[in-house]
Amino acid sequence: MTYKVTEENNIATVFLDGEIDMDVTDKAKEVIIPLIEAGKEVHINLKDVQYIDSSGISVLIESHQKGEEKNTRVVLKEISKSVLKVIMMAKLEQILTIE
Amino acid sequence: MTNISEYKDFEVNSANLKHVRTFAREVFIRSEQLKSYQEELVLALAEAAQNIVKHAYNSEPTDDTMRIKINYTNDGLLTLELFDKGKAVVPENIKPRKIDDIKPGGLGTFFIGQIMDEVIFKTSKIDWVNHLILKKQF
Repeated sequence: MTYKVTEENNIATVFLDGEIDMDVTDKAKEVIIPLIEAGKEVHINLKDVQYIDSSGISVLIESHQKGEEKNTRVVLKEISKSVLKVIMMAKLEQILTIE
Repeated sequence: MTNISEYKDFEVNSANLKHVRTFAREVFIRSEQLKSYQEELVLALAEAAQNIVKHAYNSEPTDDTMRIKINYTNDGLLTLELFDKGKAVVPENIKPRKIDDIKPGGLGTFFIGQIMDEVIFKTSKIDWVNHLILKKQF
């Protein structure tokens, strides 16, 4: 997994790339969670993520919950077909914020 | 219909999960039936392998290997088997996530149950401690 972060006004966009599994979830959290804790609206762009497993889904859940705790939006953007399939299998499409 | 029988050993660590997925994709692609369901099957197998790293070995470093076997017979039965020498699994303690329980963790077993038809735990296999069998009939 690789990533890129862009910031504009108070919105930080995290572009994730590759495969998100247990081996890279700490890295993903290290990028996303501090942005949420800083009070930024965080957009997680998933268009270039080809594979996600339960550990990766857990990162999305934790980010969503941290956003609620900090009263800031965490939005999933441009979700790839393969990632959306897993989100729907986890029945999280109504819970996570997807645009 | 293609008959497939393959196995491969992997060192037990999270960095090897991507190699587990690569192995699975290389095998599944050999059957048109499995190919059409490939990513779901890869997810189920990789979740089971992840559970070995996480739960049988508590994510601790080890030189142990796990064995993954993929068997597909011409009657359309896919059998995925995982063997490890980690802490013995207590099947009663393994419960899939409840559908309305939104929390990180506990999703892997839920996914396996969604994708596969049958999940069987064995602990008596000679040379191994845990033997997990996942079956799906196409």
